[in-house]
Amino acid sequence: MGVLLLTPAASPAITVTRDMDRPMVSIVIPTHNRQAMLRRTLTALGTQTYHRALFEVVVVADGCTDGTAEMLRGYSDSLTLRFIEQACQGAAAARNNGAHQASGALLLFLDDDVEPSPGLVEAHVAAHQSRSGRIVMGPYVPFVHGRSDFFHMLLRSWWHDKFRTINEPGHRYTYEDLLTGNLSIDAELFARTGGFDSAIRSAGREDYEFGARLIKAGVPFSFAPEALAYHHEDETTDIDRALQRSRHEGHADVLIGQRHADLRPTLRLVHFGEPTGVRDFLVHAMAFRYPGLGDRLAGWLRQALRIFESLRLRRMWRFAFTGLRHYWYLRGVVDTLGSPKALMRFLQGGPAHSHHPSCDMEIDLRDGLEAVERRVNDARPAGLRVRYGKHAVGRIPPQAGAERLRGPHLRHALATTLSWELWKAVVMESASAGSGVLPSFCGDPLIGPSFLRVLHADKSL
Amino acid sequence: MATAVLDVDFDHLPPSVTGLERYQNAHILVRLGGRPVGQTTVPVTDGCIGGSELREALLEAAGWRLWEQWLHNLLEWDERPASSMRPSATVAVCTRDRPEDLQRCLEALLRLPDDGQELMVIDNCPATEDTRRLVERYGGVRYVRENTPGASAARNRALREARHEIVAFSDDDAAPDPGWLRALLRNFHDPLVFCVTGLTMPLELETEAQEWFESHSPFGRGFKRFMLDGGDSNPLHVARAGTSANMALRKTVREHVGFFDEALGPGTRSRTGEDFDMFLRILTSGYRIVYDPAALSWHRHRRTWQELRTTLRGYGVGVYAFLTRSLLVEREIAAPFICWGWFRYVQCPALVRSLLCRPERKPLDLLFAELGGCLGGPWAYFSSRRQLRRRSR
Repeated sequence: MGVLLLTPAASPAITVTRDMDRPMVSIVIPTHNRQAMLRRTLTALGTQTYHRALFEVVVVADGCTDGTAEMLRGYSDSLTLRFIEQACQGAAAARNNGAHQASGALLLFLDDDVEPSPGLVEAHVAAHQSRSGRIVMGPYVPFVHGRSDFFHMLLRSWWHDKFRTINEPGHRYTYEDLLTGNLSIDAELFARTGGFDSAIRSAGREDYEFGARLIKAGVPFSFAPEALAYHHEDETTDIDRALQRSRHEGHADVLIGQRHADLRPTLRLVHFGEPTGVRDFLVHAMAFRYPGLGDRLAGWLRQALRIFESLRLRRMWRFAFTGLRHYWYLRGVVDTLGSPKALMRFLQGGPAHSHHPSCDMEIDLRDGLEAVERRVNDARPAGLRVRYGKHAVGRIPPQAGAERLRGPHLRHALATTLSWELWKAVVMESASAGSGVLPSFCGDPLIGPSFLRVLHADKSL
Repeated sequence: MATAVLDVDFDHLPPSVTGLERYQNAHILVRLGGRPVGQTTVPVTDGCIGGSELREALLEAAGWRLWEQWLHNLLEWDERPASSMRPSATVAVCTRDRPEDLQRCLEALLRLPDDGQELMVIDNCPATEDTRRLVERYGGVRYVRENTPGASAARNRALREARHEIVAFSDDDAAPDPGWLRALLRNFHDPLVFCVTGLTMPLELETEAQEWFESHSPFGRGFKRFMLDGGDSNPLHVARAGTSANMALRKTVREHVGFFDEALGPGTRSRTGEDFDMFLRILTSGYRIVYDPAALSWHRHRRTWQELRTTLRGYGVGVYAFLTRSLLVEREIAAPFICWGWFRYVQCPALVRSLLCRPERKPLDLLFAELGGCLGGPWAYFSSRRQLRRRSR
């Protein structure tokens, strides 16, 4: 491993005061044979609004053989650029390595296919200033491009939906929300958590495992929409790579389950313990019993996807593609666990008892929503039982791998999953107490016929 | 007998409604805090509707949607993230020799709160100068003349001329609600949303033709917001996406999806279908359409039976022209199945009901107009294309 400090020719002397307001930022970029993309990312970093003297770029070339090293040595921009070479060890090890060599108080991880907008670094710094000791993620939305093949459309929707749900008010973060393409964390906190687990190499799920440890340690996650970047995923991902990745994910999920037994019920492989449906049953049988035949069938099905696409048979394509992904995922699981029995043992080896409702915090909404939210914010319970006066509204159960509850989560649940129960409780309470928060237009007597009809109808009507 | 159209908000529930002597029924839009939550038809007795009768009818019509909205107001909840970045918009009205309707539309548009939007009238191949003179009377409305006939050509011109990121289209015979534009724009925070459509209610139901149109082929698509994504659903089922009378497009649709097909739409031989085609291409290109009932507009339906028949015939032609294009240009082999489904499950049962004089039957002349239009649709599309090619030469 060689460390090389590439001091730019026209480097501005670092005379800007390094105080709390303007911390030094180290941008860590792991890369593997993507010279052109890396160059684009570096160019975008050259146009940041944050002062250039206050950030350094640490590129970790992980077994690059495409001339990335030469490109970096010859890179002449006034960025403070450091460059580390390592043998092929995977992105997790590369990030750890880069973080270890970094000198900044704040670490910002960027992927090499992510192109930052000019305000990105500044937005990350601002987010940490408003509250320190947390994870800040920015969106790296797919670069809008004209490709309209089914796979890239699906991928693009997935990424957009991911960032949209994270950005929704009252979103409850889980370990699967940790995305490392555009993420910042205090260097000291990163060191304390031990960094990424480099044993989960090449699988691409070291981020989830890291997320699981952060969630357990109670590190808050946050999202900064202004820290915008564009993701050139269309250049780096195609259908075959995605299927290959599914196999790695199967392998990685087993490793995550081994490290965090409580997360086993949340892993995708749960669905394959006892498969339901013809497709998953077939996938299960092929992956475990006849992998040779399964691989050949999967190859044919992969070719059939082209036919489905050319005939615009979307549903068929979707069905086959999901089947293929499940198959390769399960093959990854088989690579690690071996037999259906081992899978069952693995799944049953999870936590013996779930969280009992009696451990939940109990709240009464009649105390006022703001007051209740404050109490939830102070106590940060794992689960909540909600009442309105004498009437039960419902429960927000504890969730493995999810952050502890905050006030906005309560409001989100009341407006969505618990809205029907909440309304019923409000009506009942108002009827029995003779007064309540119900509006004047529902009239007198309080429970008119239309009220009862709504009350007894299915809410979906 | 005519039907009165009323707009009632639960926040200002009237003690009773009077002065409806001319009407037998009242078609009522129900709102809560300005947001549409339902609609219903209430009988009018001696020109008035009693307060308690009205309240009960409205509560029943709105049902759970009302209470859900009420809870959301109470919780100060909105599923869309509060975004400070509101995109700016150009409002385009495409018109052709209908100055009275256009005047109503412009007056409604000038009542929109001023968020810096641009108002633009595209005068499509006009026979007279009336439209230009009318627009000149209003300050701050841009007048653009497009000489290629057809609503598609006019809309394409609007997409080229618009100064802002979003282009909201209103028909000239519609009158948008003051909250219309803001409600449309709120849905563009998702960068994959390329099109937002809204709820269209009848402006008046004075004639039998208008009543019939509203009860059998209304423009509204319900009171629940939803999103269509080509990946999850059949993109050929575009009718549920809404109508072009009330929609907004992201201007970048030009680069990523393309312009409207000028062989389709009003003013061409295909008569309609340009909006369906745009919806289809948005969905198959991997982008999304949102229907948001909060974006409300009032549409004046055709008044005479003759006009209604022509409209329905136009729908038949347009839908089949659109499906022809989908099959031949977009290579959607499922297009004939849509034709079959429509015939087998909608048109054929309606025909049988009418022939057997069952209740709820459609008038036969309308059915035949629609079916005749369908038969002529593919031919209309080809001939429209030929015309377009000749013109461009």
